[in-house]
Amino acid sequence: MNERAGADGWIGASLLRKEDARHLYGHGMFIADVQVPGVQDVAFVRSPLAHARVCRVSKPAHAAARIFTLADIGPIKILEAGPELSAHRHSPYPPLADDCVRYVGQTLAACVMPTRAQAEDLADKVDVELEELPAVIDVVAAMRPESPRVFEEWPSNAYISTTVMEGNPETLASAPIRLRRRLRLNRQATVSLEGRGVLAYWDRRLDELVVYLSTQGGQVKRLALSRMLGIPEHKVRVIAPDVGGGFGGKNRIMPEDVAVAAIAMKVGHPVRWIEDRREHLLASPHARDHTYDLVICAERDGTLLGIEGDIYIDAGAYALWPTGAFQEASMASRNLTGPYRMRHLKLNAHTVATNKAPMGPYRGVARPGATFALERLVDEVARELGREPFDLRRQNIVTAPELPYRTAAGMKLDTGDYVSCLDIAREKIELTAVRERQAAGEPDGRRIGVGFAFYTEQSGHGIVEFAKRKFRVIPGYESANARMLPDGSVLLFVGVQNHGQGHETSLAQIAAHELGIDPGQISVRYGDTSVGPYGFGTFASRSIVFAGGAVGKATRALAEKIRRIGAHLLQTEFDATRIEAGIVHGASASVSFAEIAFAANARPDQLPTGMAPLLETVATYEPTDSGGVFAYGTHAVVVAVEPESGVTELLDYVVAEDCGTMINPMIVDGQVQGGIAQGIGTALYEEIPYDDLGQPLAITFADYMVPCAPEIPSVRIEHLVSPALTTEYGVKGLGEGGAIAPPAAIANAIADAFRDIGASFNETPLTPRRVSEAIDLARRVQASRA
Amino acid sequence: MTSVAVTVNGARLVTDIEPRESLADFLRERCRLTATHLGCEQGACGACTVLVDGRVTRSCLRLAIMCDGKSVQTLEGFADDRIMEVLRRHFHACHALQCGFCTPGMLVTARDILLRLPSPEAQAVRHELSGQICRCTGYANIITAIVAAGQELRRGNGG
Repeated sequence: MNERAGADGWIGASLLRKEDARHLYGHGMFIADVQVPGVQDVAFVRSPLAHARVCRVSKPAHAAARIFTLADIGPIKILEAGPELSAHRHSPYPPLADDCVRYVGQTLAACVMPTRAQAEDLADKVDVELEELPAVIDVVAAMRPESPRVFEEWPSNAYISTTVMEGNPETLASAPIRLRRRLRLNRQATVSLEGRGVLAYWDRRLDELVVYLSTQGGQVKRLALSRMLGIPEHKVRVIAPDVGGGFGGKNRIMPEDVAVAAIAMKVGHPVRWIEDRREHLLASPHARDHTYDLVICAERDGTLLGIEGDIYIDAGAYALWPTGAFQEASMASRNLTGPYRMRHLKLNAHTVATNKAPMGPYRGVARPGATFALERLVDEVARELGREPFDLRRQNIVTAPELPYRTAAGMKLDTGDYVSCLDIAREKIELTAVRERQAAGEPDGRRIGVGFAFYTEQSGHGIVEFAKRKFRVIPGYESANARMLPDGSVLLFVGVQNHGQGHETSLAQIAAHELGIDPGQISVRYGDTSVGPYGFGTFASRSIVFAGGAVGKATRALAEKIRRIGAHLLQTEFDATRIEAGIVHGASASVSFAEIAFAANARPDQLPTGMAPLLETVATYEPTDSGGVFAYGTHAVVVAVEPESGVTELLDYVVAEDCGTMINPMIVDGQVQGGIAQGIGTALYEEIPYDDLGQPLAITFADYMVPCAPEIPSVRIEHLVSPALTTEYGVKGLGEGGAIAPPAAIANAIADAFRDIGASFNETPLTPRRVSEAIDLARRVQASRA
Repeated sequence: MTSVAVTVNGARLVTDIEPRESLADFLRERCRLTATHLGCEQGACGACTVLVDGRVTRSCLRLAIMCDGKSVQTLEGFADDRIMEVLRRHFHACHALQCGFCTPGMLVTARDILLRLPSPEAQAVRHELSGQICRCTGYANIITAIVAAGQELRRGNGG
C-alpha cells in the first residue's frame, strides 16, 4: 500500500461536494441554458423508415435558404470509425443522409428558425421521397447468407467477426456437464436526464469556431470536428458547460454535432440543437443488445472448465467515431470467464450491422452482458448439480493467494480478496434466513428468490492495452496543469470532464493532500479546449485513476518547487524544510505559501539565482501496468415475484465491493447506488424493441420505463479496501461497477424463486410479461411431462 | 401573439406570447429563468416542476397562456424560503445530487412533499417521488435528505 494514503486526512475524507451549490440554487449552466445573442434553433428532418433510398428532399420555396441537406453543408470529410483493423468494414456515416437512410431517426435535413417550434414547423413541410428497402432487424438472422444487407457492398452484415480460442477448447466436447443456453440483454438507451445538445457560432474577434457541446470529452470532439470540417484545431474551441449526465451516451461524435457546427459556418449567426426525449430514444447511442448462444462445461464435482459458443452484438446501422461498437464483442469475450478458474474458451463474436440506431458505449460496456451470461450459466450448472449456486461460485473463484491471476482470456486480475467479498455478501443478505423463509412460503402467494452475481471492472488500462484493442484514439494517459497564483490559491486544469462524478471535489482533495492546503483554496477547471490541458474525458471508470494520478504528479512537483523557494527565503537547506497547512517550515522560522507564491509570480527578484519564475506544472500520467487494475464486487439481491402477474419487487439489495483506496467514500457510495439503479433499469424495465419493419416501439417515457424512487431500494454497501499496486494512492476506478451486476443478480434471484419448476429467465428486461410467460411455459412443460 | 399577465417569482410581467408556448419555454426563453430544466417534455420526468398558484405543476405540459393572472414560482424564487433552505442543506450533506440536472425539480417537489406531509417516513417520500426521474443518484440519498429535512423542520416548529 502506498504509505501516503490517509496520511493527512484529505485522501479518504467524505468531503461534501464543491459543485453542489450552483445546482441547489438553479445556477448550473447546461447546454440549453447557454445564452448567446441571436441564436437560432435547429430541428432535424429524420427518416421515418428503417432502410430506404433517398430519392428527393424537396424544400418549400419560401424557406429554402433555411433548410440544409448534406450538399448544403459540405464538404464534410467522413471519418472511418471502429478499430484500426482492415477486417472491420467501413460504414460511412454522413452528418445528414446522402443517398440512403439506414435507421428510423437518421438525420436527413436540418431546418433553422428563430425558435425550435418554428424550426419543427418547417421540418414538417420538408417533403422527403424515399424508396423503401428491406430492413435487417434480427441480429442472428442478419448473419445468414440470404439476409438483405445494411450496406449493399458488404459480403455479410458483420462489421467484423472474431474468434477467441484459449486453453484447449477441444477438450470441452467430452465435458461431463454441458449446458447450452441462449441469453439476451435487449437494446436500451443511455438516458442521461439532460439530452445531447450543441450550440455553435463563428467568433469573429478570435476568428475561431466556438462549439458548446454536451459532451464527456471536448478535446477528442475538437479533433473530429477539425478533421471533418477542415478547420485547423487552433480555430476550433469546444466548450462543455455543465453536463447533465452522460453514462457513455455523450462520448461519440454524432451527426447533429457536425451538422450544427457546419451550419453555423454557413449562416453567420449562432445556431443550436437541443435534443428532445423522443430524439434521444430514437437516435442517441443505443446500448446493450447482446445475444449469447453458449455452452458452459463443468466436471461433476462442480469444477468449471470453460465456455464455447457464439456472441452477437447488434451494433446498429453505423459505427460511431472513434471506436464504433467493436469493443463490445472483444470485452464480452474477454470477460466471459469472470473471476473463475476456467481455462478453456472458444468464442465466435460477431459485431453485426442492422437497421437500428448505432450502438455506443453505456456504463459497464459489454460487462453487463458478459456478467449476465456467465453468472446465469454458473447458476444453471449449480441447479443441474443440485448445488447451492453460492457454493459453486466459492468453489471456482480465484482466491487471494492466487492473485495476481491471469484469466484464460489474458486479463491480469490484480489485488483483492474475492472469497471474502462473496462471504460478506452472503452474510449481509442472510442467505440461510432467506432459504428458511423460502421453505416456509409467503402468505401472499408470492415467491421469494435470492441471487448473487460477481463482477470485475477493469480501469486505468493504458497505452499498450488500448493499442492492442486497435483504438483510433488511445486514451492511455491523462494530464493535469497545476498553477499557484500569487496569493497561494491554486487553479487545477484537467482533461477529464466532470458530469456528476464530483471531480471538482475529489481532484481538489488529491491536490490538497499533496500541497498541504485546504481543498477550498483549490479550483478545478475543465471543459474548455482553449484552457485545459490535453485529455480524453470521463468514461471507462478512468478519471480517478488517470486524472487523479496526473493531479498527484503535477501538485507534487509544485510542492517541491514551493519548498525550494521556501528554503531559499528561509536561508536554509531544502531537506531542512517541511510543508504543513500552507506553510513551509524551516528549523527556526517559516514562510507562508502566499509569500512564496507572490515571490514566484510577482517578485522574481526574490527567487534563488537561476530559478525560473512561476509556480506552474504540467504532468501526464499513466499507471505503471498498462493492463489496468480491477475493482470487483458481489451483488446479492432478494426478490419477491407474483407468479401470475410476473411483477418483481426487490426486497433487499446488498453490495460488497472493493475499489482500492477511496479518495472520497461518500462519492464512491453515490456511484455504487446510482450505478445499481441503472443496472436495475436494464434488468427489469428498460427496452427499445423494434418491430419487423424496423420501427422503434419505445420513443417516449410512456413506453420506455425508467425506474423511479419506488422501484429502487436503498442498497446496503460494504467495502473491502485492497489498494492497487500500480496506481497513485492505490485507487481503482469504480464508476461503472454498480451497473454491471444487477441484471445477473436479479435474473438469478428470479430463477431461484422458480427453481422448482425450472423456469428460464435468460432475457432482459425481466418485465412482468416475460416473467409470467416463462413461468407459464415451465408449468406447461412440467404438466406435459406428468 | 397574445398578451398575458403572469406573476413570476413575485414580479408581475405583462408580455406577448405565442398561444402554443409552454410555460417551461416561457420561463426559460422569455424570462431567462433556466433553473427549470426540460428532461422529457412529456410530463414524465419532473425536472421542469414549478409552482403555479402554489400547486406543483409540470411546466412542460402547461401552456403559458393558461397562467394568465396566475402566480408562478420557480427554483429561483425560493431564495428566502425556510423549507428550501433546509432542503438545500440536507441535499448537500446527503450527497443527494450528482449531475444536478434533476435537482431543481426535485427540490420544488420535495418542498411540496414536506408541506403536505410534515416529517414523512422514507417509504412515504419514496412513494411521493414516483413522478421524478433522477438518472444519477439511485434516489436513496434524495430520500434520506428529504426525511432529514422534514425532521429538522418539525423540530424547528416545535413538533
